[in-house]
Amino acid sequence: MKELSDEIIMQKVSTGNLDLLKVLFERHHRYVYNYLYKMSGDAMLSEDLTQDVFYKLIKYRSSYKNGAFVSWLFSIARNNLKSYYTRNHRLHVDIESISHKTVDDGMEKNEELSQLQLALGKLNESDRELIVLNRYQEIKYEQLATIVGSTPGAVKTRVSRAMKKLKELYFENN
Amino acid sequence: MTACKESISELLHDYLDGVLPSHKNDMVEAHLDSCEACRQELEALKTLFGAFQSEAMDVPSTRLRSSFEEALEQEKAGQGVVHIQAKKKSWTSDFLKIAAGIALLVTAFQSGRILQLEKSNQDVAALLEENLQNKQMAMLSLMENQSASKRIQGVSYIEDFPNPDEAIVRALANRLLTDDNDNVRLNAFEALAKFSSSPEVKTVFIEALGQEKNPSIQIGIIQALVKIQEKKAVIPMQKLLEKEDTQPFVKNEIEMALPKII
Repeated sequence: MKELSDEIIMQKVSTGNLDLLKVLFERHHRYVYNYLYKMSGDAMLSEDLTQDVFYKLIKYRSSYKNGAFVSWLFSIARNNLKSYYTRNHRLHVDIESISHKTVDDGMEKNEELSQLQLALGKLNESDRELIVLNRYQEIKYEQLATIVGSTPGAVKTRVSRAMKKLKELYFENN
Repeated sequence: MTACKESISELLHDYLDGVLPSHKNDMVEAHLDSCEACRQELEALKTLFGAFQSEAMDVPSTRLRSSFEEALEQEKAGQGVVHIQAKKKSWTSDFLKIAAGIALLVTAFQSGRILQLEKSNQDVAALLEENLQNKQMAMLSLMENQSASKRIQGVSYIEDFPNPDEAIVRALANRLLTDDNDNVRLNAFEALAKFSSSPEVKTVFIEALGQEKNPSIQIGIIQALVKIQEKKAVIPMQKLLEKEDTQPFVKNEIEMALPKII
C-alpha cells in the first residue's frame, strides 16, 4: 500500500474506497498544516484550516481529475487560507504581526530558526508562499505552477528571486 | 565573467537541490571555479537551505487526526454501498416495464378524470346548496313582509323545497296561525298540506282548526286531516260542530268527515 503513488490512491478514493484517504492523510496532513502555519503564523487557525482541507478532500473526492495530487491538495489549502482572509477582511497578512508571532513562538526554538522565520516574515505574501511550498514541502516547479496558477518557467524565476531576497534578509540580521 | 549575476545565481538554487540537467550542472561548476562572488553566494545559500532543513516540522495536535477520522466514518456511513449491476436484461422484462408504464399512465389518467368529475359534481352540489340557502333566506324574510302579496310570494317559494327544514315549516305554520290575511293563510295551508304526514304539520293543522274562521280554509284543513286519518282532529271538529257561527256547509263537511276518521 505504501508504494502506491498519491495519484493512484486518490483515484481509488474517488471511485469509492474511502479508507485509503487515511493513507493520504498520514502522508500529507503535517505538510498542509505546516504550510498554513508558516503562512498564517496561527496554530489554531492552521489546524482548523487543515481539517477543512481534508473534509473537502472527502467531500469533493469525485472531482479529482488525475492531476498531480499534491498540486490539488495545496490548491485547496491555499484557497482555504485565501477565503479565510477574505471572510475576515484581511486581504494581506500583516507582516509585523507575523514576525511578532514567529518571534514569540520561536522562544522555545533555537536562535537560528527564529532568524529564518523572521526573515520569512519580512517577505511579501506571494514570495513567502513560493518559498514555503518549494522549500518545506519540496514541491517541484511544475506542481507549484499549477498551485499558484502560473507557468513552470515563471515560477522558477520567481522562486529564485524570492530566495535571493530571503537570503539578504536572513544574513542582514546575522 | 560578467554574466554571472543573473544567469548563474538563478541556477544556484537548483544546483544545490541537484535538479539541474547535466550540461547546466557542468556550466555552473565551471563558473564557480572561476568566480569568487558566486562561490560566496553558494555558501550563503547552503547555510540558508541548512536552516530550512534543520528546522523541525511543526506538529498539529491529535485533535486533527481524530476529527478527520470521525468525518471519514460519517462519510462512509452516509455513502451507502453502491452496487453497479451489469445484469443482462431480457426483452421480456423491458416489455413488462413498458406495459406497466402504460398501465400506470392510463390508471393515473382515469383516476384523475374521475376525481375531476367528482370534484365538479361537488362544486355543483355546493352551488345548489348555496342557492337554496339564499332562497330560504329570501323566503323567510318575504313571509315577514308588510305586504300580503309579498308574503304570498314568500309562501309560494315552498315549491323549491322538496324537504323543507324546521325553520321553513315553523314560518309557514306561523303564517297559517297568525296571518291576518285570508289569502296568505290559505296559501300557507296549501303549502303545508304537501307535508301533512309530518307530526309538526299535523299539530299545526289541529291548532289551526280550533281558531280558523275562514270557511274555505276550515274545509281544506278538515279534508287534509281526514286524508291522514288524524284521530286527534276529532275533538276540535266536534267543537266546530257545536259552534253557532260555524258555516253550515263546514258543519256538513265535518259530519261527512267524522265517520271516515272513526
